Amino acid sequence: MSGPLEITLFFGRLHPLLVHLPIGLIVLLAALEILARWPRFRTANANAGLILLLTVPVAVVSVVCGWLLSRAGGYQDQLLQWHKWTGIATAGFCLIAGLLYAADLKKLYRWCLGSCVVVLVLASHFGGSLTHGSDYLVRYAPGPFRAWLAGQKPPPANETKPGDPAQLQAFSSVIQPILKEDCISCHGPEKAKAKLRLDSLEAMLKGGESGPALVAGKAAESLVLKRIRLPDTEDDHMPPAGKPQPNPGDVALLEWWISQGAPADKKITELKPPVNIARIIEARFGKGPALAKTVPPKPLTEVLPLAANLADQLSIAVTALSPNEPWLQCNASVAGKDFTDADLAKLAPLASNLRWLDVAGTKVTDSGLTQLVAMPNLTRLHVERTAITDAGLEGVLHLSNLEYLNLYGTQVTDAGLRQLEVLPKLKQIYLWQTKVTPAVAAEFIESRTDKDQLQRWQDEIEQLKTRIRDAHIAVDLGTTTTASTTTKASAVNAECPVSGKPVDPTKTLVHEGVLIGFCCDDCKAKFLQDPKPFLTKLAALMPKDSKPKPSQ
Amino acid sequence: MDPQKQFWQTLTRRAFFKTSGLAAGRIALGSLMFPDLFRTASAQPRSGPTHPPLPGLPHFAPKARRLIYLFMNGAPSQIDLWDYKPKLGELFDKDLPDSIRNGQRLTTMTSGQKRFPIAPSIYKFAPHGQCGTMVSELLPHTAQVVDDLAVIRSVYTEAINHDPASTYILTGNQIPGKPSIGAWLSYGLGSEAEDLPAFVVMTPRWSAKRDAQALYQRLWGSGFLPSRHQGVALRSKGDPVLFLNNPAGVDPAARRTMLDGLAKLNQVGFERSGDPEVETRIAQYEMAFRMQTSIPHLVDISDEPKSVLDLYGPEVTQPGTFAASALLARRLIERGVRVVQLLHREWDHHGDLPRDLPLQCRDVDQACKGLILDLKQRGLLDETLVVWGGEFGRTVYCQGELSRDNYGRDHHPRCYTMWMAGGGIKGGIVYGETDDFSYNIVRDPVHIRDMNATILSLMGIDHNRLTYNFQGLDQKLTGTEARAVPVKGVLA
Repeated sequence: MSGPLEITLFFGRLHPLLVHLPIGLIVLLAALEILARWPRFRTANANAGLILLLTVPVAVVSVVCGWLLSRAGGYQDQLLQWHKWTGIATAGFCLIAGLLYAADLKKLYRWCLGSCVVVLVLASHFGGSLTHGSDYLVRYAPGPFRAWLAGQKPPPANETKPGDPAQLQAFSSVIQPILKEDCISCHGPEKAKAKLRLDSLEAMLKGGESGPALVAGKAAESLVLKRIRLPDTEDDHMPPAGKPQPNPGDVALLEWWISQGAPADKKITELKPPVNIARIIEARFGKGPALAKTVPPKPLTEVLPLAANLADQLSIAVTALSPNEPWLQCNASVAGKDFTDADLAKLAPLASNLRWLDVAGTKVTDSGLTQLVAMPNLTRLHVERTAITDAGLEGVLHLSNLEYLNLYGTQVTDAGLRQLEVLPKLKQIYLWQTKVTPAVAAEFIESRTDKDQLQRWQDEIEQLKTRIRDAHIAVDLGTTTTASTTTKASAVNAECPVSGKPVDPTKTLVHEGVLIGFCCDDCKAKFLQDPKPFLTKLAALMPKDSKPKPSQ
Repeated sequence: MDPQKQFWQTLTRRAFFKTSGLAAGRIALGSLMFPDLFRTASAQPRSGPTHPPLPGLPHFAPKARRLIYLFMNGAPSQIDLWDYKPKLGELFDKDLPDSIRNGQRLTTMTSGQKRFPIAPSIYKFAPHGQCGTMVSELLPHTAQVVDDLAVIRSVYTEAINHDPASTYILTGNQIPGKPSIGAWLSYGLGSEAEDLPAFVVMTPRWSAKRDAQALYQRLWGSGFLPSRHQGVALRSKGDPVLFLNNPAGVDPAARRTMLDGLAKLNQVGFERSGDPEVETRIAQYEMAFRMQTSIPHLVDISDEPKSVLDLYGPEVTQPGTFAASALLARRLIERGVRVVQLLHREWDHHGDLPRDLPLQCRDVDQACKGLILDLKQRGLLDETLVVWGGEFGRTVYCQGELSRDNYGRDHHPRCYTMWMAGGGIKGGIVYGETDDFSYNIVRDPVHIRDMNATILSLMGIDHNRLTYNFQGLDQKLTGTEARAVPVKGVLA
């Protein structure tokens, strides 16, 4: 197999763990030597020998592990070389220092130790850059220092917003910034995990250890999307748990761009995006509402007491959805007309934990719905039978996780429905007794259905069905049985009717429609001459249900 | 050693400290592992009208927030309604083979019969909806919504008579004394509505021309759970709740003052005795007070548009019918009631089935469709679990005299049909299969215990973990004898 053996990786990965021990110990040795210059602390370096005895082997072992790790690949070559050689030098100087100390050459020992420290600093810096990127320490340095330390311009505060989002270049202005935000830190020019780089289209097409990152035109087969779409609990899910995750809107944009053939040099308008994609782009780059990034909820233990108090106070029900997750459900419809916008505002401390909100039949109005901005984790929202109108839906547009929206019995119109196209995860919407017309509802469904994608999946289903069929083997035994001929049939009797001896299967004849067997040709001839004397004996020998046909 | 001396030795101080030291450690460990070990009745009774869910519930995010249970008491005949068996047509008046009957016990109503002639259904079945499920001509309206239903043909039970069987399916045990499913749900998930009980029951009237099996209050009772969790039955004729309104001369303010004083007295009693029934009493008085305003609004259906009333059929305006009760069920769950149960009687067609079954079907058929469609257009079907079914099935052989146009069927526990719809249920499927005689199950059997486990799991409860310690046993709805398993095949 092409990659390193697992055992190599196992020991290789111990390098970041082990390497901190010799670093600490070498620095300790140096510090003790310096301290020993003061008369008061002249015994400080007395135990240097003991410490060296530990340091040298550990330093050598971590260098070996580091070498194994470098074989796993994925590290930028030049930086790796620098780190490798300075690291080896560190271990080397350490070893020599140990020998010098043992040989009691204290002055040379100190010089050696000093050089060891110098190469140690260099090796550590290169090592840190390898793992975290070369601007790791300085990126968040205070303003004036940043430019001086990093020697480069600080990253711009926000991207420039062009006037018309439709004129943007699809790849360079829309897709690349998404990748830069969440992917390039591990799959870019400085570090290429699994030998994959995502900073240029060629690199993405070329791919890494697992194959090409994307297949132009086939979003379903593109590894980058498959990995993003895996559940968070899967090991292969990208970006890895703990790192910033992309917005659902960004993922939708990526999928659309790939299925359009992943073009490098087309503008958005040239690719004719469907309405929901257009809205997402407008929201991100234009002046529309930005889809709120997921706001992490507070821990359940913190919000439950608040929830209980609020529930009592407002006469509503606020309960946890399950004890293992931080999500809450709020049913305010039981308070009916007593629940107002002001009461909804009181739910603010719980806002990031709310998953299901039911304000059906309450006195919540359009202005109350503006508070939904603070509830980006909502998946189900009931606002039926309230006085809201299209204006109130502004507040709903921020809910990038919303899957269910109940608007029955409200004043929502066709225009309001069209606004909702921007919600990426919306799966169910209820519009009975609203002003929405069937035609516009049908259009809404059309715009949300990617017919091409559905057709591709249908084709895939057909292909899979064919493959299942082909995997079977057909064995046909036929339905009709062959007519038995006299040569193949066996005699009805086991003993010869003439002699009583066992029947020879080759000596048979048909008598009155029944195949009779004899022991020898002589008996057969005797029976043929005159069957009558043998018939009773024959009848006894025959099985019950095969009776000879009555003679003509 | 002399046994008496041995006994006295165990009572020495030394022995006491030796054993109780360990015991104290065990108790401490117990309280660490089971924090509820030392839970006592709280000094402040939870006398408010709503009660919160138990801590830690729901165990996982529920698919349905509400349950509407349409219980067809008496046992509808599955062969004539849901379980299509065309091969029976050739077997008219043939005896049921022993290999099929396989020793199934008979009731005393048919055990005296010399013959068990097969009675094929005289009703025609046809495929309906996009899923093509076969439904009998007796349920034309329900057939129209079959794409939303999961029809389970392989439900079975052990009980063969009505009382034990109804008690079994609705309380989890044939022996009376256990809480009903609605009481368990009220206990576990709490109630959200301030002015209506968490569990409401209705017993609409029936059209079949015979007397019906009796219903027992224990079918919606609270068993050993605090009695505030029992179902509150609304009457089908006249006032939904008797004596709800204030008598002449008593105005609401006076009533309120009286109730406040009563609550204080009960509170004193509670602090003295710690009896949870006092809690219930205080809560029920509060609930009754609030129901004085909420019930009249509930039963006044003049705010329903005509298109909605038409969905349920012509009987919806006649209080006490199944259709009217179905509409009330929807109104109840909209107002936050957790469980609504309708118990429709007289499906027990031992004889004259062709006369009575169509009448019963007419009672419920359009109302069921109306309920499903009404919930659906309000976006509530997604969050409400609807269950329909009886306590057992009916036999393929005829009870009494068999003729081409008249027959009866006896009780049959080994297989029957129920359907589910709504939150978390995959619509348009048929789960489970019976043999050609609708006598035995051949695939995917579902015990009524498993049905109850499924209902609980759709409401977010792990049926093994919702327990109540009573008589030294951690009692559960699904019982402790055998392991119940929620049915995965019907889940969306």
